[in-house]
Amino acid sequence: MDLVAGRTFAEERRPIRHVDPVLILVTLALAVIGLFLIYSATSQTLRQDGLDPFDRVNKQVITMILGMVLLLVIATFDYRFFKVYSGFIYGATLVLLLLVHVPGLSSSVGGTSNYINIPGAALLQISPSEFAKIGLLVILAAMLSELRGPVPTVQDLVRILGVALLTIGLVFINVEIGSVIVLVAITVGMLVVAGTRPRHLLILATASILMIFLALQLGVIKDYQRERLLAFLDSSNTSADARYNLQQSEIAVGSGGTFGRGYLKGTQTNLDYVPEQHTDFIFTVVGEEFGFVGAMFVLGLYALLLWRAVRIAYLSKDPFGTYVAVGIASMFAIQMFVNVGMVIGIMPITGIPLPFLSYGGSAMLVNFIAVGMLLSIHMRRFK
Amino acid sequence: MEKASSRLKVVALLIAFMFAALATRLWFLQVLAVAQNRHEALNNSVRIAQTDALRGTIKDDKGNPLVENRMSLEVRVRKDQLGPNAEQVLLNLADVLKVPIKTITKALQDKRYYDYQPKPVAEFVPEREAFYLDEHAAEFPGVTVVPTAVRSYPYAHANHDPEFAAHVLGYLGQIQGSELKSPKFKGYGENDLVGRSGLEQQYEKYLRGTKGVQKYIVNSDGETIRTLGEEPAKPGDDLVLALDGKIQQAAEEELYNGIQRARTVVDQTSGTYLKADGGAVIVLDAQTSGVVAMASWPAYNPEWFVKGLTPQQSHYLFGNNTLAPSLNRVTQQIYAPGSTFKPFVALSAAKEGIANFSNSYDCPAEYTVPGDTSGATFGNWSSTGLGYMSIAQALKVSCDTVFYDFGTQFFFNWRAHQLATNSEPFQRDLRQFGFGKPTGVDLPLEASGIVPDAKFMLDHPDLYPDGPIPGVNILLSIGSGEMRATPMQLATAYLALANGGKMCKPHLVDHIENAQGDTVKQIGTRCYAQLPYSQAQLDYIVQQGLSQVTQPGGTAGLAFSGFPLSTLPVAGKTGTSERPPFQDTSWFAAIVPAYQPKYVVIAMVEQGGFGSTTAAPIVRHIIERMYDLPVSGPVTGGSAD
Repeated sequence: MDLVAGRTFAEERRPIRHVDPVLILVTLALAVIGLFLIYSATSQTLRQDGLDPFDRVNKQVITMILGMVLLLVIATFDYRFFKVYSGFIYGATLVLLLLVHVPGLSSSVGGTSNYINIPGAALLQISPSEFAKIGLLVILAAMLSELRGPVPTVQDLVRILGVALLTIGLVFINVEIGSVIVLVAITVGMLVVAGTRPRHLLILATASILMIFLALQLGVIKDYQRERLLAFLDSSNTSADARYNLQQSEIAVGSGGTFGRGYLKGTQTNLDYVPEQHTDFIFTVVGEEFGFVGAMFVLGLYALLLWRAVRIAYLSKDPFGTYVAVGIASMFAIQMFVNVGMVIGIMPITGIPLPFLSYGGSAMLVNFIAVGMLLSIHMRRFK
Repeated sequence: MEKASSRLKVVALLIAFMFAALATRLWFLQVLAVAQNRHEALNNSVRIAQTDALRGTIKDDKGNPLVENRMSLEVRVRKDQLGPNAEQVLLNLADVLKVPIKTITKALQDKRYYDYQPKPVAEFVPEREAFYLDEHAAEFPGVTVVPTAVRSYPYAHANHDPEFAAHVLGYLGQIQGSELKSPKFKGYGENDLVGRSGLEQQYEKYLRGTKGVQKYIVNSDGETIRTLGEEPAKPGDDLVLALDGKIQQAAEEELYNGIQRARTVVDQTSGTYLKADGGAVIVLDAQTSGVVAMASWPAYNPEWFVKGLTPQQSHYLFGNNTLAPSLNRVTQQIYAPGSTFKPFVALSAAKEGIANFSNSYDCPAEYTVPGDTSGATFGNWSSTGLGYMSIAQALKVSCDTVFYDFGTQFFFNWRAHQLATNSEPFQRDLRQFGFGKPTGVDLPLEASGIVPDAKFMLDHPDLYPDGPIPGVNILLSIGSGEMRATPMQLATAYLALANGGKMCKPHLVDHIENAQGDTVKQIGTRCYAQLPYSQAQLDYIVQQGLSQVTQPGGTAGLAFSGFPLSTLPVAGKTGTSERPPFQDTSWFAAIVPAYQPKYVVIAMVEQGGFGSTTAAPIVRHIIERMYDLPVSGPVTGGSAD
């Protein structure tokens, strides 16, 4: 028995002693900030409709508690558990994606059926595409960590892409462009770290662009999705409705100025000018009420979060942990970038929630699960 | 994992790049473009709602309301609130209102309103239907019934005279898009009504009042969150006129009757019935220079404009219609005044030393310019020579040839002294009586008329290829040729004869009151010049000359036969002006009573024949009604200029 500072080495390396406090604090900080933002975005409207102004905040708190429980549970398990069951998890998320198409189970929001209503649990609507991210992430990590060569061969790539495209395709059929982007980012991020040859990546990129073009041409994308995309690509050639979303959120963020208008004082925010404000456009509240300084602070928290994720990928004792951490980092990074970018007009409006800040059940839970996995990798980083 | 760590750096770099992009854009939006974004955010949320001010009323001199406001129940539709069954809602609404669905859909396409603004689709909705809509509000989302104020004409209504004082009162019209941009209409909104003619136009700034302003903060659905401030509407000021409703009605009726009678008279020149297709009457108060009555025919019903003109009404009023019923013939149309002009010629001739009230002048049947060998002659209106007579007598029988000679002498004087500073004293004197310039009556678009002079002839070489000729002055001396005046100008000139030589601007509005009844502006008598004639000279014209016109042997002797001239002497002057190819314009100007003048009354009928035939009987009947005398039946005025 080796002794380290009076304790046995084994005891010193007990996972519980090696949680990542920065990661936990940043996660909690973002989630709590999210509650305040949701209150600002929804209370006025709720009060007007004669409802409890805390209605949305309360629901989000419940989701948060549930998320933290999941985080703790997952952190206590060894992350390699996910490698063992990666095939099962992946399969389960595919089934969930298919369940959306079962009549009577799906609920339609904004013309597409992206949610599964769990009978008897009215509070929870499950969005399968959110869980599909975890499913894809673990199966790809498992596959990449078992590669024979130092870099993926063409055969490897074909297998990996086959698995990825199955998930992506199902999400695409459900017309969730935002989730497709996130899944693609996860896949690409992991492939880059796995050492995929740049040549192969280029071919993949070309193929993707061709496919997107085809999708637009063949009308696979629903009209409103297409409109939102085109609104971004060419603002002169789109309906007033689509331009309106973009304009209002830019005005909201821009009118915040350097220091913001003060909490609950944003006119754009309080008067519902920005559409879907407590969900996809939650960042407008930050921009309008807390200004450039507030926006930088929130972005700083994300930077911390991503730094911890990349650091965990680096510290992981095995390739599986590295790939999972990279997948999660890619997932958070692309969501943050596309969401904030969309709010301020440098990315298309696609319907991606902002991690930990946006109101919404499934995404919130998945984010906590992902942090739980990061923690688990971090805690067990010693061989 | 050596290689993996370098590849992780690639991922980290990509993420860093994302942050850089977001931060740059945020810097631009929030720090550099903050002012513009703040401005747009403000525009987003603050709505300014205006409440219309109640327009001021118009009352006659006794306080009888001539123009007031009444409520119209207006149905308005907010397009964005019709709900998912918009079409059905509109169909049901059309059913309730008993109008074709097309009227409603057309009204909803009105580009003057935004979708979040309620658009008016029906006015004057009966109360029953309005109640129904209110009670079934749930079935008609976005439909509201709003009481709005529109013009009403109680005096016209009470006296069954729909065209009562139409030209005086005027009407309202929708403001035009181009006007909204002009500074003159600052503060007007897109649906505002604005005075388009008559007093409604002239006193627009008093009548319109001040709009109420309410500032709201609204959300994106247009729902009010809170009120920022409220300024209640201030009603417009009321006009109190010098006009006497009873006399106005008498003037209109007698003008109409006179025109109808004229149409039964055969015109001596053309041999056909007189067309008598237009006329005007003006009654001025000789003391105050207030307009007691002002009638123009043909007229129209101002109520038409309240409900919106039908195509027929629009064509009648503004179409290619030579009758031009929208024109106020008292102030907006110019005519040769004919012999009614002679008193001013006589006064000018006496003042400039061409005539003398104690001399006698020959009245031949024809007049030739001295020294003119071309054979051109100017005839008297009657074909017989009347011998030597005084100027008073020349006015009584309206001898043209006496006046022709005055005109000739004025012309010769001009020719001899045309380089002198005042080479045309004749025209100057006539202009001092107010001819050739607007009288300044408080009505819009008043015509100026023409006093022809040497310059006029030089300016029209097409008409006067040889330069100034005596003929123009000769005809000017009997108010013909190129001379043009509005009936209003003639009335103010007669006013000067009646009031001791004062030139005054006539006024319709005596004073303006605010809603509390306090006078905010007194218009009243506005005299601006004293004419250079002695009271004796004026008395000679009115009492020696014009008083005789209504006496037996005067040109209006027949028209006033049986009139109690001994108790109510009437000084007057007939006029008949040629207007080829049309029939003659018939005139009569009167001062009553002749010795202590109280009123000036002028009547003019286009294509009405001799002054004694049509205009003089009209004036007689008006005077009878003004003085509550028994109104004589149809009067044969005879055929005298």
